[in-house]
Amino acid sequence: MKTKKWLGILSSAGLPLLFGVVIFVLWQTQVLHSWLGTDTITLPLPTRIGEIISQNRDSIGSQVQMTLIVALGGLAAGSILGYLIAVVASIFRKWGAGGLTIVSAFNAIPIVALAPVINNWTRDVSTDVSVRSTLAKIIVVTISCTAAMSVNAFRGLTELKPFSEDLMTSYAAPKIVVFTKLRLPNSLPYVFTALRVSVPASVIGALVTEYFAEDTVGVGRQIRENIVKGQYPTAWAYIATACAIGIGMYIVLMLVERMVLKRRKA
Amino acid sequence: MKAERKRFLLAGVAAIMACMQFTACSGGTSSTGSTASVSSAGSTSAAEESSSAAEESSAAESTGAMSHEDIIKSAAAEGTIGNWGLGNEYEIQALLTKYGLPTDYITMDFTMDQFDSDSVKLASAMTYNELGLVKNDYDGGYGYGDSVSIIDMNDEGVAMLEDNLFTSKAFAEANPNTVKAFVSASMKGWAYACEHPDEAAEIVFEAGSSVSAEHQAYMASEVAKLVTTDMNGNTVSAADVGNMDEAAMQQTLDLAKQYIILEDSTAKDKLASLTLDDIRSTDYLTYDPETDGAPEKTSVSVQLKWLPQAQFMGYYVAQAKGYYDEVGLTVDIISGGGDISETTAVYNGTVDFGVTWVSNLINANAGGMDLLEVAQVYQRSGLVLVYKNSNYGG
Repeated sequence: MKTKKWLGILSSAGLPLLFGVVIFVLWQTQVLHSWLGTDTITLPLPTRIGEIISQNRDSIGSQVQMTLIVALGGLAAGSILGYLIAVVASIFRKWGAGGLTIVSAFNAIPIVALAPVINNWTRDVSTDVSVRSTLAKIIVVTISCTAAMSVNAFRGLTELKPFSEDLMTSYAAPKIVVFTKLRLPNSLPYVFTALRVSVPASVIGALVTEYFAEDTVGVGRQIRENIVKGQYPTAWAYIATACAIGIGMYIVLMLVERMVLKRRKA
Repeated sequence: MKAERKRFLLAGVAAIMACMQFTACSGGTSSTGSTASVSSAGSTSAAEESSSAAEESSAAESTGAMSHEDIIKSAAAEGTIGNWGLGNEYEIQALLTKYGLPTDYITMDFTMDQFDSDSVKLASAMTYNELGLVKNDYDGGYGYGDSVSIIDMNDEGVAMLEDNLFTSKAFAEANPNTVKAFVSASMKGWAYACEHPDEAAEIVFEAGSSVSAEHQAYMASEVAKLVTTDMNGNTVSAADVGNMDEAAMQQTLDLAKQYIILEDSTAKDKLASLTLDDIRSTDYLTYDPETDGAPEKTSVSVQLKWLPQAQFMGYYVAQAKGYYDEVGLTVDIISGGGDISETTAVYNGTVDFGVTWVSNLINANAGGMDLLEVAQVYQRSGLVLVYKNSNYGG
């Protein structure tokens, strides 16, 4: 029993880890460079990238904070909005499905097109550029996180276990009770399915909107600045940081999901 | 800082509701913009873009208008100074430092809408491009005319040299005659373009212009001024087009060392140690086919810093007038735009030559690229800060 469990962990965590180590070795020994036909300036060695990160922990940390505010703010707002849309859609079932299609269509607007428009909108919100710029970025991330949540939550709220709804009806349960006792708990796993999509989307959204923001802050902005200025090692330090943010948020999500869903089962 | 962060999170939750209101607001900004241009059209004295002393005194004399220093301080306190960043910000930061101010700025997009709506009150503008769009009322212009004034980086003593012509050291060493031939033909094109800006504008327009013919003509005449006038306002003769003014180059390098902030310690050390000899060579300015010999590589490409426009008219003129053919070169002019990194393109051999700002080249060399400036086309800075007179008591 125990060995089986360990084998499971090994195959789910060990293989990706092994892959990572192989890439690291190929990269550090510059085999990767010869394959890609590049050099150590445009693709710096991992040790060099690590060195820059460790030398600039404070400044990178403050950029990470700004990116996290945008990613988490947008993720929260988008998820709440998406869930509310799903609730409304599940109440007005006939119109709901069509409404969700429209929400999904919004999600298809590329961030590149969205960001400048939102920047224009928020221009009158505050004279403080950091406030209006952060707001603009959060709105973009919100939009990119809404659809996944609303589509998934709608399924969770409507695709109930066979007969469970009939059972509730036979109890003469009011709609609100059906919602709190049946629909809401039933939607929980679907919420996590949505978050698995929107957590990475929120990080990507935050990084890309920073490209177009009025305020010169954030990890994404630093990647752009450093590439345009020809500072590839520093740009890679921020790219590595961006990856770490994405992976970190995903791991947190996995842990929360395991905790929440386990408790529910028990 | 912490309190602010909380505010951001709250703002995020409130974002959606706010969305609906913004659409209503944004309609209002354009109308305020146009009224500003009408009401302030009276004060014209400070609008000229030449000699600093005259400008500053006349600005101070006119009804309650503020001095440049006060304007810069006021805009800095409000947080309404704009620049594009991405290596274009050093002169602005030097200016802010000169007046003892923090070097923060708002990132401008590639329009002047933020200036129009007053979210940026002191906006970066190139004399040949954005300033023309702000002042003129042709297609794409904002039509402010003389109701706007400028603060010139050259007058403020914080000018850095901009558009140059560069290649990689490796390419220059391997193909010295090609470099010489390309530089001399290009500078011949530049000299002709500066003498005939209208014709140059037409040539560029036909070569695939990104802007209107009128704006192209405006740009050509303004670019000609930058090529034929140095930082002190002295005229540069046609024969000296492309020369590297030692003092101007040194000022550019000194300011770059001060304001280029690098997080990579290796690059930081490299930047501190850079001398003019590490970034430029005057060996390629003259070409004599008789003594030098034929170009080693006859088919070359040049990467521009931006979209096809009169900013680069010298190369288009040299192409159209057959100057490149005369020296035995076939030249491919590749336009840039957006985030194209001309330094990287030259470094990795995608193209042979590039046009960039000297500060960008310094930045790239600090990062480990061995690039070499072979001609300095613009002899003074084209960067100004533009403001509406009405915002500052004019």
